[in-house]
Amino acid sequence: MVFMTKHHLHDRHLSRALNIGTPYLWLGLFFLLPFAIVLHISMAETALAQPPYTDLMSWVDDGVLQIKLNLQNFVTVFTDELYLAAFLNSLWIALVCTVLCLLIGYPMAYAIATSPERRRVILLMLIILPFWTSFLIRVYAWIGILKPNGLLNNFLMWLGLIHEPLTILHTQTAIYIGVVYSYLPFMILPLFANLTRLDFSLLEAAADLGCRPFKAFLKVTLPLSLPGIVAGSMLVFIPVVGEFVIPDLLGGPDSLMIGKMLWTEFFGNKDWPLAAALAICLLGLLVVPFVFMQRLESRMGGDEL
Amino acid sequence: MTNPERRTLEPWQDPKAAPYVRIDHVTKKFDDVYAVDDVSLDIFQGEFFSLLGSSGCGKSTLLRMLAGLERPTTGRIYIDGADVTDLPAYSRPVNMMFQSYALFPHMTVEQNVEFGLKQDRMPRKERAERVGEMLGLLQIGELRKRKPDQLSGGQRQRAALARTLAKHPKLLLLDEPLGALDKRLRESAQFELVNLQERLGITFVTVTHDQEEAMTMSTRIAVMNAGQILQVDTPTTIYEYPEYRFVADFIGLVNLFDGRVAEIQDDRVLVETQLGRRLHMRCSHPHAIGTPVTVAIRPEKLQICQTYREDGVNQVKGVVEDIAYLGDVSIYRVRVSPELLVEMTLTNIQPRTEQALTWGQEVAMEWSPTSGVVLTE
Repeated sequence: MVFMTKHHLHDRHLSRALNIGTPYLWLGLFFLLPFAIVLHISMAETALAQPPYTDLMSWVDDGVLQIKLNLQNFVTVFTDELYLAAFLNSLWIALVCTVLCLLIGYPMAYAIATSPERRRVILLMLIILPFWTSFLIRVYAWIGILKPNGLLNNFLMWLGLIHEPLTILHTQTAIYIGVVYSYLPFMILPLFANLTRLDFSLLEAAADLGCRPFKAFLKVTLPLSLPGIVAGSMLVFIPVVGEFVIPDLLGGPDSLMIGKMLWTEFFGNKDWPLAAALAICLLGLLVVPFVFMQRLESRMGGDEL
Repeated sequence: MTNPERRTLEPWQDPKAAPYVRIDHVTKKFDDVYAVDDVSLDIFQGEFFSLLGSSGCGKSTLLRMLAGLERPTTGRIYIDGADVTDLPAYSRPVNMMFQSYALFPHMTVEQNVEFGLKQDRMPRKERAERVGEMLGLLQIGELRKRKPDQLSGGQRQRAALARTLAKHPKLLLLDEPLGALDKRLRESAQFELVNLQERLGITFVTVTHDQEEAMTMSTRIAVMNAGQILQVDTPTTIYEYPEYRFVADFIGLVNLFDGRVAEIQDDRVLVETQLGRRLHMRCSHPHAIGTPVTVAIRPEKLQICQTYREDGVNQVKGVVEDIAYLGDVSIYRVRVSPELLVEMTLTNIQPRTEQALTWGQEVAMEWSPTSGVVLTE
């Protein structure tokens, strides 16, 4: 009996360790380890070698290990106005697009959440449907729509609204359009998940207490859907800051984005250490809003999410 | 009926009294279903009025139409003489307590109570006073900083009540006000609700499916079925003199004997029933011979018959089949014929163990001709 109990206890410890250990192992293997490698590269120097950077550690004399940490790449990132401008522009684009997604996505999520059950499934399918086509193809399709003799310009000219084509493609506007289009579902889905759980008798109670519908929305619906707004905004903001496909395909030469810069440094200039330093800084930049939102959420009772 | 004191207590008896709420031929259709079907009803100032019925009978829809949360398909609703049919909920002088309480989860008790007052743009100082008054009235002053999810069921009910009363409404609507409370709490809450209503002099209209709750609290009850009001009366009248088989059956226990009118003797009607003998019942309405009727007798109106005779008035004999011991009373189910069980309630004057009546025992029962009713529908 004693043996059994001991054995049992051992089993429980093991399963608990496995339960807690698995996600840590996963994070360690697929996040922490790559991060360490990138951090390592960011402090190396470029070299004509395979891979194209120097080792941090080398044996100089017998028994002397030399570690060379090159912080020049970080200095470059912080002092070169080009990178600074790219960072700021990325943040700006992400901010504008998050706000636009929220303004467009909120009414859509609300409409889906309040529609009858059977129509709701169809509407949700329509939101998810674009994911069935490759992201790249959908962004390419926007070139066809936005180019000077593309669908949009032809349509507007046919309507007689404009007489010569608008230049949209290869401008910041095209990036906004492409990003908002691509990331809208990531805003709608968490908002929808939040709004379907809204107890609509609360709005009736507000009306009963003399509150007009719009004010009831501001006082009841909006505060209660804040966790959904936070989740949706994070899902849009964070990937958009590092977005590189959309600015590459739709953006112009003036629209600097950090993701695109990183790509150029890595593949174009073969400057892996600088690209790695950029990546580290980008990560640092994104941790700030994440921590901030996490704080906000826990203060509001984050169990809602 | 001419007693003036009674007139003030029972305004519905006074032909000159103006109703506070008048529901005039109101119908509500959802798609093709009639939720409320041509209902007319007058409710007077200071009443504690209950809409009683099983779920889906339209009682909640009627209440929601009073609140302005549903719009009648046809018909008009008047509150205090004014036609409010087209008035949205937010501009009606009415407050409602929801079945789920619908307390705002992101606000404290205090903020919940204050919400309606803010909508009226009441000055801050006055608002704080009113909130304090309401929290005091319902004895939840210490809970003012708590959020709804930190409250027990009973505390939530009080907070919801404080919120609906805060605006000093003239008419308070309560949708299953005690439905979410456990039995013990419900009993004390019933009395508290009645005391509150009497103290504040507000007209209460409540919806309930619990007949006991309706009986103890109401001045009058409207029994609803399938979107229609069957009978509107005081609890006593509803219980003692139901007008419909449904009403008799819905409220309390009842023995129903189907039969036909066989003979009329002065104010008595003799009904031929499946008991194999004629039941003598007092009846105020004249019935034609041969009319199908139902005789309804409450189980507590039955007594043990000491002198049973084959031709005795309203006497039946049978065998005790089931006994439900409820402590204060016991319900005996007596088989009087192969297809008929009669229920009899007896007060347990003697301790249970010393009672004479037991399973399988033959028992004769009787009742007075005045203690039941003859129903035609």
